[in-house]
Amino acid sequence: MRYSTALVILLLLTSRASAGDEQYVLGADSKRKDGTPVGKVTRQSHKSEIFPGTERDYWIYVPAQYDGSAPAAVMVFQDGKWYVNEKGQFRATVVFDNLIHSGEMPITIGIFINPGVVPAAKKGAKARRNRSFEYDTLSDQYVRFLVEELIPAVAKDYKLTRDPKMRAIAGISSGGICAFTAAWERPDYFHKVVSHVGSFTNIRGGHVYPSIIRKTERKDIRVFLQDGANDLDNLHGNWPLANNQMAAALKFSKYDFGFVFGEGGHNGKHGGAILPDTLRWLWRDWKPQAGKEEARKGGKKQ
Amino acid sequence: MNKTLTKNLLVIQALAWIIGAGLPAQDMPLEEVLVEGQGWELVGEGYKFTEGPACDPSGRLYFTDPPGNTIYRLGEDGKPEVFAKDAGHPGGMMFGPGGRLYCTQGAKRRIVAYDAAGKIEVIASDVRSNDLVVTGKGGVYFTDPRAKRIWFVDPERKKKVVDEGIERPNGIILWPDQGTLVVADTNTANLWIFRIENDGRLSHKQPYYTLRLTRSHAPKSGADGMTVDRDGRLYVATHAGVQVFDTQGRISGVIARPQNAFLSNLVFAGNGMQMLYATSSDKVFRRKTKVRGLLFASPEKSPSKP
Repeated sequence: MRYSTALVILLLLTSRASAGDEQYVLGADSKRKDGTPVGKVTRQSHKSEIFPGTERDYWIYVPAQYDGSAPAAVMVFQDGKWYVNEKGQFRATVVFDNLIHSGEMPITIGIFINPGVVPAAKKGAKARRNRSFEYDTLSDQYVRFLVEELIPAVAKDYKLTRDPKMRAIAGISSGGICAFTAAWERPDYFHKVVSHVGSFTNIRGGHVYPSIIRKTERKDIRVFLQDGANDLDNLHGNWPLANNQMAAALKFSKYDFGFVFGEGGHNGKHGGAILPDTLRWLWRDWKPQAGKEEARKGGKKQ
Repeated sequence: MNKTLTKNLLVIQALAWIIGAGLPAQDMPLEEVLVEGQGWELVGEGYKFTEGPACDPSGRLYFTDPPGNTIYRLGEDGKPEVFAKDAGHPGGMMFGPGGRLYCTQGAKRRIVAYDAAGKIEVIASDVRSNDLVVTGKGGVYFTDPRAKRIWFVDPERKKKVVDEGIERPNGIILWPDQGTLVVADTNTANLWIFRIENDGRLSHKQPYYTLRLTRSHAPKSGADGMTVDRDGRLYVATHAGVQVFDTQGRISGVIARPQNAFLSNLVFAGNGMQMLYATSSDKVFRRKTKVRGLLFASPEKSPSKP
């Protein structure tokens, strides 16, 4: 009897803990629609020089509308496996298919990158997990890896934009602060940032961003932040406070920013549910090239 | 509630836990290490400079007094006693295969190993050294801070330089599964890690861990001796205190120094290897923890002879 009482308490605790997330559900734009062309996703692997010894998988999403006649916009996702998963919390490729078809975002090649690992030479020994080093460190090393290694590897096969305004970068948790750092270090390369439950906390010093943002000449970047009241509070910091500090600093320094603060926890449920709207906001002023607009909008033209 | 139902609910519960948990946190806060209400306690004092703490296969602590030319160990009564005199400025130590005590000898420019009877075998000669780590197979990595070098002596006693260029390489340790080597740089905020190749060479060097600095010593961290626990946490003696890192290289926190004096080195020893020992200037301290250290080498296994 004591056993089952404990179980009931456990169930109650869990349902309470996840209550904040249950309200966030995927909408129509995160699901397949009849007649909407489906892009192609291919899995690749990469060995890095900039992060010596690291190996990683990444996925390239190419929209059906891409024909190589014009450069495509680029959007890079950290922890790529979570965003590219069509059954996951984000389903980014499905959202891309829908929004590209409706003309609400440009023809965009998605690059979904996993963090690196250095496998051990010794059999059975643990690999060096490089995710925290790559994502949480406040330096230009990760964006150099993107700009000098990984994006050029994709550009071998696809025509990619050279316009920073047509490049976006996104991530969740440590991947969120990573996305911000990439644009912060190279605003001449990445203009658009999306952070889901971003770790602007002291994992490797990222808690200083709000004060740095306030005391640095404004950079030409557009930032979207999502977080929730039930996000983490641990040894590294308090995620809800940190994201509110980030939003306040971006506001203070008059950035072009968006902040959605809900009730979710440290996961992608809320961020995933609002991803279509987030991307609409992010790409709200992209301009279709003359002559291409008609074709893109197709039958939707009024 | 019947048994099957309970079981099924537990499975559902476990699944919900996994799915609902979302992102892996894997945090290793200090509260998982420290015992509430238990601080540092004095083990011994009156030495010139303590260093080289090592744990023997039974959990007994050994340590060195380099300027005093002496190796000590804890006696049956828990008090330090002399293990070896005229020890040639002994520095870093660690127990290796066969329960032998490996030790750097600064004054004699060599690495030696003591057997249980105190008999010495020379492992490497004509080398400067500071600290060492012994692998389960009897290979030895050691640091030469002045030449900015890391050396490897293989189990056949052939030595070679396996890294050069760290500002002041000092403490040196393995991850618990011995696939990765960590080297502390006293003069910077970096702890460097390497993949260990099957022949002992090092590859894929990276400043994986970043140390906290103190205002008065920056940019020097004072990083010196290191140890690991069975869960893979890394403990580093520094100016700021004992810095603890998790398995992803993220700082878990800083444990206060045992006294306001230089902190040189650390090791887990004692029953169950749950006691964290620290050498600091003229004294040796210890404190109880909730974690366990480990031995890299089996005491039974005999090292291969040249």
